[in-house]
Amino acid sequence: MEHPKDRGGLTRRQLLRGAAGSALGLSAAGFLAGCENTTEPIGASAGGPVGPASRLVVAKPVGPGGLPLPRPDDAVTWAITADNRPIPEGRPTERGPLRVYNYADYVDPVTVKKFQKEFGATVQIATYNSADEAIAKLAAGAVAFDVIIGLSGANIVNLIAQKLLQPLNHAYLPNLAKNVWPQLADPFYDRGSRYTVPYVVWMDGIGWRNDKVKEDIASMDVPWDIFWHSQAYRGKVGVLDDKRDALSMPIQREAMRTGARPDLNTEDQALIARAGSELSQLNGICNVKVTITDYQTLPEGKTVLHHAWSGDLLSGAFYYMPKGVKPDVLSFWGPVSNGVVQNDFFCIGRAAKSPVLAHRFLNFLLDEGNAYANMVNFVGYTPPQNAIDAELLIKRGLIPKTLTSAVVRPDQFAANQELLQLSVAGERHWDDAWSKFKAG
Amino acid sequence: MGSRWTWRLLALPGVAWLAIFFLVSFYAVLSVAFGNQDTLSQPVPFWNPLDWNVGYVLEVLRNFWHGGQYLTVSLRTLEFVAIAMGLSLLIGYPVAYFAARHSGRWKGLVLLLLVVPFWINYLMRMLAWINLLSPDGWGTRVLHGLGIERLFLALGLLSARGGWLDGQSSTVIIAFVYGYIPFLILPLFVALDRIDQRQIEAARDLGASSFSAFRRVTLPLSVPGILAGCVLVALPMFGDYYTPDLVSASTKTNLIGNQIDQFTRQGSEKVTGAVLTMLLAAVLLLLMFYYLRTTRRAGETAET
Repeated sequence: MEHPKDRGGLTRRQLLRGAAGSALGLSAAGFLAGCENTTEPIGASAGGPVGPASRLVVAKPVGPGGLPLPRPDDAVTWAITADNRPIPEGRPTERGPLRVYNYADYVDPVTVKKFQKEFGATVQIATYNSADEAIAKLAAGAVAFDVIIGLSGANIVNLIAQKLLQPLNHAYLPNLAKNVWPQLADPFYDRGSRYTVPYVVWMDGIGWRNDKVKEDIASMDVPWDIFWHSQAYRGKVGVLDDKRDALSMPIQREAMRTGARPDLNTEDQALIARAGSELSQLNGICNVKVTITDYQTLPEGKTVLHHAWSGDLLSGAFYYMPKGVKPDVLSFWGPVSNGVVQNDFFCIGRAAKSPVLAHRFLNFLLDEGNAYANMVNFVGYTPPQNAIDAELLIKRGLIPKTLTSAVVRPDQFAANQELLQLSVAGERHWDDAWSKFKAG
Repeated sequence: MGSRWTWRLLALPGVAWLAIFFLVSFYAVLSVAFGNQDTLSQPVPFWNPLDWNVGYVLEVLRNFWHGGQYLTVSLRTLEFVAIAMGLSLLIGYPVAYFAARHSGRWKGLVLLLLVVPFWINYLMRMLAWINLLSPDGWGTRVLHGLGIERLFLALGLLSARGGWLDGQSSTVIIAFVYGYIPFLILPLFVALDRIDQRQIEAARDLGASSFSAFRRVTLPLSVPGILAGCVLVALPMFGDYYTPDLVSASTKTNLIGNQIDQFTRQGSEKVTGAVLTMLLAAVLLLLMFYYLRTTRRAGETAET
């Protein structure tokens, strides 16, 4: 969910491992009589007070097992339980192998090699394709992973509810306080960074080819409007193939017009449905594409205007420019506030066999130099490091000025919103609106 | 007696294969479709049919009944598959006919050329088309040079010059035809190749023109091949989601497979995904029954 590496659609970089889920089979007529008739999830319970008092408040959505769903204005501190304590200080570092669980192509192999050399340990990386898959396999417990990379605040409740993580000992992680943006060194979804430390950040915005799109998108009153005025670019316009990101876009647009603060984690069915039908207007306006290959199609000019993750424009500029095309044809705009920002994190598996080495690995990648190398040599997404900003990347000639906004700033990160886990009922509203939109 | 048991034992691996990879896994799909989900949005299958929960199935059926998105994509899927199947037959029949009856000593080579596309993975072939059909790609240039682009523009099947990848239904259908046509040609080739030359000669001897001999002898005798080919191309097309994703990505070309993909792989509504899978399977099963009945009848008439 909501992760750029959750390449739900098909990309060329990770060459299509899965084939069709073509169906065959039996029909199931006959026995429906006497069956239950519900779509209410098992174990669902409303949050807040019970009995007559419950009528006095609007029920808050709750997560699995009745756990709270973290929100920026409702931060959560996850308890450290007696049966699951952090490792003590001053332990010797294990020799590994360090078992890392990550998206494919989501950590720089050269940086990993440097770590292996420095600590005389081997690193084994196993990959997953989606957060769902990762959590299911972690819960099955077949492999005891030491470090898990790429999950996010949207998954934390699941991870905690299923007791999949071990708490961190910050004595091994001096780089966290030293280098990382203060707000992400103590995030709302995990107050005190008890179980997680941040990896990279990105935001939702508009990526376009400034040599093909005439409008000055960044200076429009409501830049999102460009999608509803994109008749001229028919067939070359895309929105992100992700229900939460894409449906959030019309919600932001509406809020930007009225000056209101939108709730991008809303569970209001009517609001979500309206966002879906507004998105559907794009079918007629520009025959909109629904993809997550913008990091490739924008540089190649196969699309000229795309709802985009900021990191995709950076990756595009770093690695995907065709011969003879300069990266300064790429532009990015992202909202200063009330838009979508996301970050993902590192965490340590509860059953880690090399917990000290795992802490060392986290601290190693929180080091300024290593985080920088990992980003510019391979990953493309920006780490929330105090020392890494757009100015630095422009000065070093890595990105053109037109992509200044694609490097998320800490103040921007604070003023935007993360897409977070919803209740099952809320999630279904988003799924339904998305399915309607995707049906054309 | 001993040899009878040997034959039965030989069937065992096949039966076990079907039982494990088809019956059990399909029952799992049913149990999810008639199950529920937990508060982690994970499916909870109900294995006992007596416990089955029809809530999700009813919801999907209600959506169909009220003309919701599932009906839209299902009708579109039917339309795309029907057109692609018809086109495949139109193109594939003459090819198979030529290969089986007129290629003479080149038959082996022609057959080899028909099989060659199988050597390359389907997805690789589709990815190749993305480059060929890009605005400045070779495929686009050839289509332009041959006047096909102009024809498509005139017929309204293409929205702009060089816009093959701009989310066109016609591109998806052409990709279907290109991708699956070998599956149609091969069984057709076999059926046509098996027709006894003497039957056609007999028709000619009795005064039939070559066209009428084709219409009254060759064509009816090749019906089982046509049906087998159609089934072989239609089944994977019905479940296809990656072809529209790759060559179009427009919502206007999304099929039932894309909806299933969305619910099972990308979304959190795996139960709904299972319901759609089950309903699609039920429809395909009906088509299979029709196919089996027709081929059995064709077999019976051939014997009389």
